[in-house]
Amino acid sequence: MSGKIKTQIEFLVALQDLDIMIKEIEEVKELGFEVNGEGSAALISAREELVQKIKKPMLAAYERLRNRYKRAIVPVKDDNCLGCFMKLPTSITAHGRTDKEVLVCENCGRILYWLS
Amino acid sequence: MEKVELVSYFNESLFIPALRAKTKDGVLEELVDCFVEAKFLRNPAIALEMVHRREQLGSTGIGHGIAIPHGRTTAAPEVMIAFGLSKNGIDWQAMDNKPVHLVFMVLAPPQELNNRYLPVLGRLVEVLSEPHHREKFHSVTTYSDFINLLKS
Repeated sequence: MSGKIKTQIEFLVALQDLDIMIKEIEEVKELGFEVNGEGSAALISAREELVQKIKKPMLAAYERLRNRYKRAIVPVKDDNCLGCFMKLPTSITAHGRTDKEVLVCENCGRILYWLS
Repeated sequence: MEKVELVSYFNESLFIPALRAKTKDGVLEELVDCFVEAKFLRNPAIALEMVHRREQLGSTGIGHGIAIPHGRTTAAPEVMIAFGLSKNGIDWQAMDNKPVHLVFMVLAPPQELNNRYLPVLGRLVEVLSEPHHREKFHSVTTYSDFINLLKS
């Protein structure tokens, strides 16, 4: 069964997903989906709640990276950062999949998320 | 909207001909878990959070017994669609207030090389808006029937 979001990296990923959803509201509406003003306000409010759960330095890093790269969190595939495509050292790849730590790419600084 | 073929976004392991869940939240969870069991997703909580948020924005029940829960999530490696059929129907607070029988869950990564997500979503809405086509999905029992229907 699906669990609940509980770690800092999970909160950051949820925040990025929410930011993308807010940004794409109009495009989704154009496809014919129901989007109500109340719902848009609920997303903004959900974002405010979510940021309260994220430690301030993490949030600041997320916002800084988002301004620089658009996507602050990038997937890791085959031990490569898919933001800058650099191979990650084993010191990082050994810990990523647990979601217990927030790890960043040593080359580009983006936050890393392991897909598998 | 550019016409895109949909077949390549489906997978037999993401095909549920008889949904067990009886509620909207239950179906969302069952479909997300299906992505996890098929090893397309590692962490179900992240995708589930996103699809719940999307429902807050407005129901993804587009009417005529169809729901298309969808969204981009950092947890998704590629654009993928799971399909679930509910014989009894689910209360989805759909646009026409009718129960939902056909559920297509579309997950996409935050960014893709070819930007397929919105065209795929648009094409799915287009295909399912044809009454003749739509009705046939209600009686599919096998994945091959389902794919043949999509191709027709």
